Amino acid sequence: MIASVAVVGHQNNPLYLQSFTNANDALKLHHIVHCSLDVIDERVNNPKRSVSTLNESYLGLLYPTESYKVYGYLSNTKAKFLVVTTDLDVKDADIRSFFRRFHAAYVDAVSNPFHVPEKKIVSRTFAQRVSGIVKAFAAGTNG
Amino acid sequence: MILHTMIQILALLWHQIVAVFAEFRRDWAEALRFYEEAYRALREMIATSTRLPPVQRLVEIRAVAEQLFFKISTLLLHGGKVEEAIAWFNRHFNSYKHLVGLDEVSFLHWDWLSRQFLVFAELLETSSAAIPNTLSSHFGTPESSLTEWEIQPAYYYQLAANYLREKRYCLDNLLSTGDSEFSRTSGKVPESVMPSVFIGQSARLVEQGDMIEVLPLSDAEYVQYALSEAQRFQDSYEIIALFRKACESFTNLKAPRLASLCSNRMAKEYFFTEDFTDAKKLFDTVSSLYRQEGWVTLLWESLGYLQECSIRLDSAKDFIEYSLEMASLPIFANGDQEIPDSKREYGPAGLPSQSRREALQSEVLSLVRGEEIVSRTDRGCSIAVTKEQPVRIDVDIISPLRMVLLVSVAFHDQSVKPGSPVMITLSLVSQLPCSIEVDELEIEFNQPKCNFIIINAVEEISAARSNGDNQDVRIETAPSIVLPTNKWLRLTYDVKSDQSGKLECLSVTARIGKSFKICCQAESPASMEDLPFWKFEGMVQTFPTKDPVLSFSGQKVIQVEEPDPEVDLILNASSPALVGESFVVPLTVIPRGHEVYSGELKINLVDARGGGLLMSPRETDPFSSGNHHVELISISRMGGDDESRIHSDKIKKIQQSFGVVSVPDLRVGDKWSCKLEIKWHKPKSVMLYASLGYSPNSAEAARVNVHRSLQIEGKIPISITHTFMMPFRREPLLLSKVKSLPGADQNVYLPLNETSILIVTARNSSEVPLRVKSMMIQSNSNKNETPYSIQHVGGVSADDSLLVPGGEFKGVFSVRPKIDSPNLELGSVCLNWNRDLTLSDSEDSGVMTEQKLPAVIVEQSPLVVSLEFPPHAILGIPFLFYIKVSNQTNLLQEIKYSLGDTQSFVFCGPHDNAGFILPKMEYVMSYKLVPLCSGSQQLPQATITSLRYSAALNPSVTATTIFVYPSEPNFFVADNEKETILAKLNL
Repeated sequence: MIASVAVVGHQNNPLYLQSFTNANDALKLHHIVHCSLDVIDERVNNPKRSVSTLNESYLGLLYPTESYKVYGYLSNTKAKFLVVTTDLDVKDADIRSFFRRFHAAYVDAVSNPFHVPEKKIVSRTFAQRVSGIVKAFAAGTNG
Repeated sequence: MILHTMIQILALLWHQIVAVFAEFRRDWAEALRFYEEAYRALREMIATSTRLPPVQRLVEIRAVAEQLFFKISTLLLHGGKVEEAIAWFNRHFNSYKHLVGLDEVSFLHWDWLSRQFLVFAELLETSSAAIPNTLSSHFGTPESSLTEWEIQPAYYYQLAANYLREKRYCLDNLLSTGDSEFSRTSGKVPESVMPSVFIGQSARLVEQGDMIEVLPLSDAEYVQYALSEAQRFQDSYEIIALFRKACESFTNLKAPRLASLCSNRMAKEYFFTEDFTDAKKLFDTVSSLYRQEGWVTLLWESLGYLQECSIRLDSAKDFIEYSLEMASLPIFANGDQEIPDSKREYGPAGLPSQSRREALQSEVLSLVRGEEIVSRTDRGCSIAVTKEQPVRIDVDIISPLRMVLLVSVAFHDQSVKPGSPVMITLSLVSQLPCSIEVDELEIEFNQPKCNFIIINAVEEISAARSNGDNQDVRIETAPSIVLPTNKWLRLTYDVKSDQSGKLECLSVTARIGKSFKICCQAESPASMEDLPFWKFEGMVQTFPTKDPVLSFSGQKVIQVEEPDPEVDLILNASSPALVGESFVVPLTVIPRGHEVYSGELKINLVDARGGGLLMSPRETDPFSSGNHHVELISISRMGGDDESRIHSDKIKKIQQSFGVVSVPDLRVGDKWSCKLEIKWHKPKSVMLYASLGYSPNSAEAARVNVHRSLQIEGKIPISITHTFMMPFRREPLLLSKVKSLPGADQNVYLPLNETSILIVTARNSSEVPLRVKSMMIQSNSNKNETPYSIQHVGGVSADDSLLVPGGEFKGVFSVRPKIDSPNLELGSVCLNWNRDLTLSDSEDSGVMTEQKLPAVIVEQSPLVVSLEFPPHAILGIPFLFYIKVSNQTNLLQEIKYSLGDTQSFVFCGPHDNAGFILPKMEYVMSYKLVPLCSGSQQLPQATITSLRYSAALNPSVTATTIFVYPSEPNFFVADNEKETILAKLNL
């Protein structure tokens, strides 16, 4: 199950952060997402990165905690997408497809002429769409 | 069942024993395999029951598992199998993480888990050399299940600390409630408990007479024992140490966010141990990162702790600062429903919500209005703001409290005349969740006379005055000073300044209550930064002023112009300046409408072509004093008599290109003049700036400045050239000159002990007539005996001879070198001159222009050829023509000579001949010539060749020209003059 999704701007400021758990762990998830940015920095700036991963947006598993796993994705505009899951065994292809859909939803949201770049995304449509993608992901992995 | 259990135990023991033996044999692979088998066998035993009670049984299983896992991970890590070791660790952790046991003893589980992480971290640290470098390139790819931090010990230290915190939390809960089943059943801690011979078991020693018996413990006794043991340890110190270790490692790994997470946890632990100073320090560091990156929720948590630390440290100022920052954070969530455990998660601040923000704001406002605030964690602790200890908060442009109060100040104009009013708009905005009412605003400028206070009309003016000690400050009233949330409060007033220069609004201080002030640095709307945090919110942008132009270009600074000067400052220069002279520029101050008090005259010389300074640090020029090309020498009263000379104490400062002089007080109708003496060392065009600053009345008031400038050209007055010549009809042979290539060098060769002629020409290259006072050649050497003798022998008379522009003055000197030298310095030509019409009445001593003569090469000439014939001839009358060759060497010299035919003369003597000259002797060739034509005639061409030196001499045309009179002329020359002429001819 996805616990949280986040979009982080290029100044490492949160643009969108949504938790999907009922428990009172929003702060913990914020901490997890924030700490995962260190791994993104490390991975993006690592000179030893292999050629195959160099030009890829999907950054893979970033940060395993005892009960969560964090996956990352970096767009060309340096917007960072992060997903925190409680499933400890997730297929790579599922996560990739999730990020593609999440990214598409983000692109549609920021293409709104009333949206100012680098400001928080407050669009309800975007929130609904992300919820839909999260649900579809849960259904896909359970199924 | 019992049999089955026994078999399992035996299998476990057997595997373990085989593994230990394999280790003895150094068969690591075998040892690993059997330890893994033993671990698996242990897993199967978890569900089975043994003779031990359940709590102790779980403790035993965990202890055995720990030992087996320690063996497995040690073997794997020492074998360089890092990935496998980490995978094993994860498996180990996942197998036991849910095996908590009873709630009463859950602290044992967390303690054990924490130890697992700690042990693994230490193992990883000791075998860090075995971690291959290539591992990092695979992170995040499907080939690697590992991530960056999993191979770092810091990651495990941090988790070890986390679980130790969990243990402490469980233990505290257990001790605070104190109603566990075990504590009810037996409240006594058993004595003499010690570890049993079996791993993970404990036993009690009982003395029975001389015998000591080992008895098993009941679970209740064991729990009591474990509780008492756990209480003995100060977990917090270990938690802090582990977090510190992790934090330092993450900082070194350039992972600032993970490091700050560790710092955050460390700070919380300090807070728990009531070390509020250290907690505050760490929370402050952590908060700055969250502020920088705009993580509101994370900042909220830290600020909550900081707020509490401030109360406990009795710092009302800090408390107000943190509370106001929290209240102004962009949090809009409805957090009315209080979630259980939110205090544990979010700390003292609780869940971030709009209502919490509002509560915080009202709390702070009640504090500053005199109420007391009590700590949330310790009811005995409180803070208050009193009249005796007022609180003042300063907000600068980088402060996070800009969200609380932001002040933008804009003048409506860019410049203003002194004494004229100018409009100023103060715009204030606050992001606090509720409207805030300010009692008084104090506006401060860099010119204190412009400061003013705006008072809320509700407030009594007298009350405002009574608490301020500055009675002269202007007071304005505003109907109400209320700042609604995110809405600009605009106030426009007039400001009048009498002082010219910059007028800048420095700060606006808002007073709320009697003892609280918040002082905001004023910002210009044109260069205002976005608000932290709020810049990421999608709010409607509003402008600080109604006029959008002012919002984009308004400045908090205005230029107060100077009053128009009513004093004339006259600078004059009649002609261009000449290099070397003291050029005088008269300067006159004539008051027209203003009187001049405490006047100060500044003179500045600047290169007219730009570049500012009139100096060249690289050039070293003996003519210049220092490196200045143009120098201000003095400033003196016009007239030149000693009394009117400006006293040296009145001259504040004179530098090479800058001078300041005080001007006496002058009334209208007075006149004050002075002259500036400026000396040029190099021809340069210079801008002379004179500025007079004065006060129009005797009281210290605004100063007025008058500026004048004048461009003055500096020119070279005289150009000096020179030529060396040999005496008439005398040609010494100079071997070096003969050998040197024609045109290769410009050296001058002079023969030793022979007289040469030096002609110095001085040309007036300026546009003004000059007078030459004297010309001489000054020797550079100080010795009395110079290596040459030099005499002035003729030329134009140097007694004040007028030199019109373009005119030339020639001086003729005889030079006789006395030593043989390849580099003989002949000294310098010194020309003393002055202007034909000097500006000053005083007698001018003249200007000395000096030019160095180039060094000459002096050498002994072996042969000297001199031609001798009369100064004139008469047609048809024969005369004698001698060519004399003097051998100055100690060698026998062989020469050849020839004389060519010419139409104008017939001669007797050999056409070609050769001869030998004895050492130090002279060889004379004599011819008798008869002129055939009258007028200026060229003698037959003579050629003298020295065979030894392979040098030939052809005398020059001028040296072999003679004037032939048609008949005997009649001269009437006085005897003495005749002698003089003859003497000069026979030099």
